[in-house]
Amino acid sequence: MLTRKALRSTIAAAALLATAACGSDNTDRSSSNSADAPSVALLTSGPVSDAGWHAGAYEGLQLIRDSLRFRVSHQQTRTPAEFDEAFISYAQAGYGLIFGHGFEYQDAATRVGPQFPNVTFVVSSGSRPGPNVVPLVFHLNEASYLAGMAAGAVTQSGIVGMVGGVEIPAAKGTFIAFEAGVKAVRSDAKLLETHTGDWYDVSAAKEATAAQLRQGADILIHNLDAASFGFFQAVREARKAGGDAWALGMNLDQNDVAPDVIVASAMIDLPAVFLSTAEAWEKGTLRGVARYAGLRAGVVDFVPNPAQEGVIPLDALERIDSAREAIIAGTLEVPRIEFVEEEAAADG
Amino acid sequence: MSPGEIHGLIGENGAGKTTLARILGGLAAPDSGKVRIGGRAVELSGARQARALGVAMVHQHFSLVPSFTGLENIALLDPGAWNRRGAAARGYRERVEARARELRLAVELDQPVGGLGVGARQRIEVLKALMPDPRVLLLDEPTAVLAPQEVDGLLAVLRRVADAGGAVVLVAHKLDEVLAVATRVTVLRRGRRVLTTEVASTSAPQLAEAMVGSKVAGPATSSRWRGAPLEATPVARLAGVHARRDGRQALRGVALEVRRGEIVGIAGVDGNGQRTLAAVLAGVQRPDEGEAELPPEVGWIPQDRTEEGLVGGFTITENVALALHGRSALRSGPWLDWRGVGEAALGVMREMEVQAEGAEMAAGALSGGNQQRVVVGREFLRSGSFLVAESPTRGLDVKAAAAVRARIRELAAGGDEAPGIVLISTDLDEVLELADRTLVLVRGRLVEMAPGDRTHRAIGRAMLGADRAGGDDW
Amino acid sequence: MRRSPEIVRGLLVAVVGLAVTAVVAAALLALGGHSPGATFAALIAGAFGSWDRFVSFTLVRATPLLFTGLAVALAFRAHVWNIGAEGQLYAGALAGVAVALLLPTSAPLLLLPITLVAAAAAGALWAAGPAAMRTRFGVGEVITTLLLNFVALFLAQFLVQGPLQEPRRIFNQTDSIPEAAHLPALLPGTRLHVGFALAVAVALALWLYLARTPGGLRLRTVGASPRAARVSGRFRATPVVWAAFLTSGAIAGLAGWVQIAGVTHRMYEGLSPGWGYTAIAVALLARLNPLAVVVTAIVFGALSAGGGAMQRDAGVPEAWVRGIEALVILAVLATDRCWQLLAARGEGG
Repeated sequence: MLTRKALRSTIAAAALLATAACGSDNTDRSSSNSADAPSVALLTSGPVSDAGWHAGAYEGLQLIRDSLRFRVSHQQTRTPAEFDEAFISYAQAGYGLIFGHGFEYQDAATRVGPQFPNVTFVVSSGSRPGPNVVPLVFHLNEASYLAGMAAGAVTQSGIVGMVGGVEIPAAKGTFIAFEAGVKAVRSDAKLLETHTGDWYDVSAAKEATAAQLRQGADILIHNLDAASFGFFQAVREARKAGGDAWALGMNLDQNDVAPDVIVASAMIDLPAVFLSTAEAWEKGTLRGVARYAGLRAGVVDFVPNPAQEGVIPLDALERIDSAREAIIAGTLEVPRIEFVEEEAAADG
Repeated sequence: MSPGEIHGLIGENGAGKTTLARILGGLAAPDSGKVRIGGRAVELSGARQARALGVAMVHQHFSLVPSFTGLENIALLDPGAWNRRGAAARGYRERVEARARELRLAVELDQPVGGLGVGARQRIEVLKALMPDPRVLLLDEPTAVLAPQEVDGLLAVLRRVADAGGAVVLVAHKLDEVLAVATRVTVLRRGRRVLTTEVASTSAPQLAEAMVGSKVAGPATSSRWRGAPLEATPVARLAGVHARRDGRQALRGVALEVRRGEIVGIAGVDGNGQRTLAAVLAGVQRPDEGEAELPPEVGWIPQDRTEEGLVGGFTITENVALALHGRSALRSGPWLDWRGVGEAALGVMREMEVQAEGAEMAAGALSGGNQQRVVVGREFLRSGSFLVAESPTRGLDVKAAAAVRARIRELAAGGDEAPGIVLISTDLDEVLELADRTLVLVRGRLVEMAPGDRTHRAIGRAMLGADRAGGDDW
Repeated sequence: MRRSPEIVRGLLVAVVGLAVTAVVAAALLALGGHSPGATFAALIAGAFGSWDRFVSFTLVRATPLLFTGLAVALAFRAHVWNIGAEGQLYAGALAGVAVALLLPTSAPLLLLPITLVAAAAAGALWAAGPAAMRTRFGVGEVITTLLLNFVALFLAQFLVQGPLQEPRRIFNQTDSIPEAAHLPALLPGTRLHVGFALAVAVALALWLYLARTPGGLRLRTVGASPRAARVSGRFRATPVVWAAFLTSGAIAGLAGWVQIAGVTHRMYEGLSPGWGYTAIAVALLARLNPLAVVVTAIVFGALSAGGGAMQRDAGVPEAWVRGIEALVILAVLATDRCWQLLAARGEGG
């Protein structure tokens, strides 16, 4: 039966190929929602199966589809040459909101934006706002600062570790804030910093983590993608060997990933950011300025691991809570790396 | 064909000899008709199946792997060389050596065959074909490159194979060899059998007539065709030349002077430095030691027309351009003057009577004889003062060979404008027929034969004088 | 020198190959739950849907493939197995960007030619190492050119994160090149830049060179038979091999810089998705004929432009798109091979 169906489709396809009319726009095939619904598109430069940066964006897109009943589409691009093409294609096909998920989309958005004034282009970690180009800046550093305060309270050796992947600005920014957080609680603390150069190399991450543990670090944070497994494994082995080491999760709420070694996570809720951005766009409040996604918007947060309650002292948790309030109120400024060129920003 | 028979298959180039041999060897399928082996009609779908049915083939162009040793090459296609698990069978080497002794074939088993001379390679080729003990042995023009003694040796081997009950098919273009060894002979002309007869009841003139379709004059033997005095200054001169080929010493103190209007014949068994001597004379290889004074342009008919004389994928015009592209007369600005080259190519084809569909035909699609005509004609264009001809009639049929020889003779008879010609050939008849004087190249040394010693016997002895593989064992 | 039937043949083979793939891919798509009809419609509409799509998408995507395809075709013609077009592309891109950013001039008539020369020179330089290794020491260029691809990639990463990083030193990319170094639009109102015309001009020049000049004849001879070059042509193969290496590298170098000057306007780490490797298929499919490379490069450009549309408009995941692209390449190569066998049989009979 399957084969017969396949055969029929094949014949249909062959016929279609032979007669395919040029100039036809086939734009509404991927959507389950009605054709006149607002349309949102997402471009990623990596696979959405990465269980991290790209997957988060794709979940956001699905959330937009399911919550707002918008029509959605996604394209994975391979080279910068394709960025313009993809933006233009989506804009021409009637998509009103197009996400480019990464700083690499900034140039293309700036080039294409003026040609389609009625379309809004959102660039994750972008740097240059335009009338209809909106950089989306994630203040994960705010949560990372709070995680630093926790680390400063937990460490006994006074040595705190940081294991990174590729030394990109966004990752670097979280470490700068983390360091400031540690120092705010324990000014004499010593920080170790290693970058493996690879988001996905599990054994390199494990090795780097083990090296920091040998140097006396007893609480460590990471900024890795799939390689974080190696990071947690190294800490787990150190604990089994009798050490008193702890790990902190990053990027996502990783408390469930390694509940036996994680005391808390600094996390960003990418789907929520995408949903709120789409809502703002629908309401017409998504203006041509950078949009910040931080503690205040409720999409970035510091989440203690309930399985390890008590590791972070209560008074430290209280200090962290008041720091959170201060950051939201704007009275406490967390160190960060500034992406956006023009200082004109709206808070999400 | 019956067991114990040696069947000669003769005909001009393009008569269909090779095609017939290929059909029997399983390499080509007949458009119609049947092949019967052992009384059964068989359809040969490939060389492997032909081998399984007991047909072994020795090709005109060798089918040996150059980087393999003789033993490896022999073992390659012999099922008996391998045991069931695909490993080398025990005692195989001893079996090969025994077979070689039995046939009195002197083979070098442990050298990569790429470094061996043509004769030595052919002995391996023959032994390789005979190892599985085939019912039918096919040889496609096996004597084209051999010295007289080597030819005799090969024919003796064939006789021994036939005496042992094997059937031999010998594709050849030299009548005397066929007459010497074959029991029956078939003549092909333009794809048709024109004659099959017992050798005992035929003669060379009858066969030659059957081949060509018209009477051919026998070779002009010792008559001098030219009486003009020679210039004093040589057009090419080698003195004390030493040269290496692939790291081995190939020429050892060669001295040679060639004057306009003379043909210097250089006889010798293949592998005694001929290739290096030709390269030095053509100006392509500089001697390691000694002097070589050469004219700026040298015609060179190389021994190997398919690999060196021509580019098979090129058209005839392009192959002519290959020789002439340096001439300023054939350039306009940065461009090659293809029209001019095309005219030159047509001139070559006319002059040499090349049978082709035009100058834009791929050289590789021409028959061997026509390929050689293109090479010879093209090199004549560069032979204003000096020509090196290496086995120029190798693999050609009687008529084509006669035509090439006649052209060389005409070229040398051109009076004051005639070039000096060096004829390097393993075909002793050819050397004796064409050359004004004869030298023998033996192990990299040139030996001049006294005019009274220009006989088969004397030269043959000189050619083998230092050949260790020589003697009765071929 | 009758070349035009080969182009016709190449085109025909490509079409037949596409049809074969369509059938196989349709079956797979149907089994995978995607609509083959919508997928193919998207593929065709994305590549050829309108004049602007064809020009702005397909031809723009074909441009780097055309340069690298020509580079590979020329090298292979001389039996120089240059697998390093990818690395030479990066070398050219880096050199062009470096010159454009560091040279204190903004006159387009000056800056653009200088950057193009710099890119070509860098590409040639990247090929010079393997050329020397082969001609001096007999080291096979397949390995050396391939390894240098990785070196070029790491060099690009280093420069983009280091000396050539944009001035704020935040992102792993260079600064934007000055406008004087932009390649102007070839057709106003489209994204097609002059680089495409340059690539076609290179194709034409290579074709003329191979078919009509003594140097081209020598190069083809070396490719067909180095021994015939020595014996019949009386020239040494080594200088010809060098020329093939350097010219091939230079053309590949142009591919990288033209992409930046015409499209992206700055250098990124992942500039090329492997054009230097796809180029091998582009060149082989064109039977190493420079004019046919124009056609095959456009076919591959259309395939990749259509691939984007397949994701956008038919919701086919990128992994599927790549699979279908690979299928097309395989099918076309297989068709070409079948054709050769048929032709050989026809001649034999």
